[in-house]
Amino acid sequence: MAPRLNPLTTLTAAAAVLVITTAASSWAVSLTVAAGAVLLAGVTGTARRVLLAASVILAPFWLSLLMMHGLFFPEGRTVLASWGPARITAEGLGFAVDMGLRTSAFVLVLLLFSFCVRVPDLVAALAVLRLPPQFGYVLASTLMLAPVIAARLEKVRQAQESRGLVVGKGFGSRLGAVRLQMVPLVLGLVHDAGIRAQALDARGFRRAGTRTTYTQVRDSPAQRAFRILAVVLAAAAVAVRVAASLSGGGQA
Amino acid sequence: MSQPSLTLPTPGQKAGRNRRLLEILGAAAIAGTFIYLVLTQPADIAGGLGSVSALVALGGFLLGAVLLIVGVLPTLPTSTVVLIPVALVLNIVLGQLMGTSGLPFYLDSIGTVLIAVLAGPAAGAATGALSSIVWSFINPTVLPFAAGAALIGFLAGTAARYGLFRRFYLAPIAGFVTGIVAGVVSAPIAAFVFGGTSGAGTGAIVSAFRAMGDTLLAAITKQALISDPMDKAIVFTIAALLVYALPRRTTFQFPFVRRFNVLAGKEPAKRNA
Repeated sequence: MAPRLNPLTTLTAAAAVLVITTAASSWAVSLTVAAGAVLLAGVTGTARRVLLAASVILAPFWLSLLMMHGLFFPEGRTVLASWGPARITAEGLGFAVDMGLRTSAFVLVLLLFSFCVRVPDLVAALAVLRLPPQFGYVLASTLMLAPVIAARLEKVRQAQESRGLVVGKGFGSRLGAVRLQMVPLVLGLVHDAGIRAQALDARGFRRAGTRTTYTQVRDSPAQRAFRILAVVLAAAAVAVRVAASLSGGGQA
Repeated sequence: MSQPSLTLPTPGQKAGRNRRLLEILGAAAIAGTFIYLVLTQPADIAGGLGSVSALVALGGFLLGAVLLIVGVLPTLPTSTVVLIPVALVLNIVLGQLMGTSGLPFYLDSIGTVLIAVLAGPAAGAATGALSSIVWSFINPTVLPFAAGAALIGFLAGTAARYGLFRRFYLAPIAGFVTGIVAGVVSAPIAAFVFGGTSGAGTGAIVSAFRAMGDTLLAAITKQALISDPMDKAIVFTIAALLVYALPRRTTFQFPFVRRFNVLAGKEPAKRNA
């Protein structure tokens, strides 16, 4: 289902949902958005990966938030319990839950987008937006280089170990091991990049103007209309929030 | 007879001026957003951290970062553009390598500083911003910090431009100062968008300042002033050592290195063709 959609449509939808969630800034909206993202991930078959990645990011974040605002919230008035300087306040817990849910929605929606989108499609769609072609190159190249470079680091490590690299317990030994792996890695990568630059230059990489692409990205009038609607809705949400804060600002 | 030219046209002066305008607009968006956030923060704390600040922080910083990228990227030589993906992966991979080596640092901008030293402030700023955007495909929470990352790249490039990477003992000093500026600029993002910092160590420091009655923004700024300068001093030192380890034949391929004599030393002798 998801691959049929234009990447720009999913990107606009994700951005609009995030803007509206931030503008609303209520735990109910955040919770609904987060639940919706998990549900959509289930439909598109990415639920396991999205949830795994999200939990790695969100677990320490929630822990830190609850510790920070749950125990220390000087603005809090309703004290539930206190030990010395630390006191649990209702306002502090409420703030932590508000912020935690909003960030959870933020992370889940963006992860859903990045796990559903096909990078070649996204690059082709960005070219239509008249962003510099270098942007598409950097985006695609990074996502594809990452596993290559990780494999290369592994090879460097093996080569150094076969030459007698033993990582000891001491700080100096560890630092030395990092140096022995980093320097050949970076050297090789910079050298490779130089060769790639010559090949790209020979093929007119720097030329200005529009590019053609081999990837045909589907688009339809309905999707175009949806994108405009999403942007209008997000703008309206921001306008309502700004108006509310301007009129309510006097009381605060 | 009049066959059209088969060579590519060179971009005109007008395009260059438009790009310069984009760069300036991007920098102005980042500076304006920061000033707005700092000026309005007391009212916001009283109102229970309104979402307007979060929207302004997200929108202004992201817009600035994107404008910088669009303005700078087309002006970079290809040798720099192909190095950017390498730098972005280095940011991630070397960060992980540091993590597994058990050293207590969080070094996620080594690649950015490396590019800044080799290719200049504009390239460094674009790399920093791109790093946050591309990394957000794996970890979305780094996306709002794009402006701070751009600033680190810009300051690193400026330090290299004025010769602070010629002596290895000057690099950590430049990193320390960069860390102060970057920490102060990134703190409003952590405060208004996320309501705190991730990670137990930084969280504990923020909690300590909160316990003394600081506002959230003040507490996070002080935490950033404790962690960031140290972290950036280490990052700048590592980047400097890596650049020194590169053969001169490689570093002198970069016009920025040649023009400003970024690394002390003479140009290698030209090979006879």
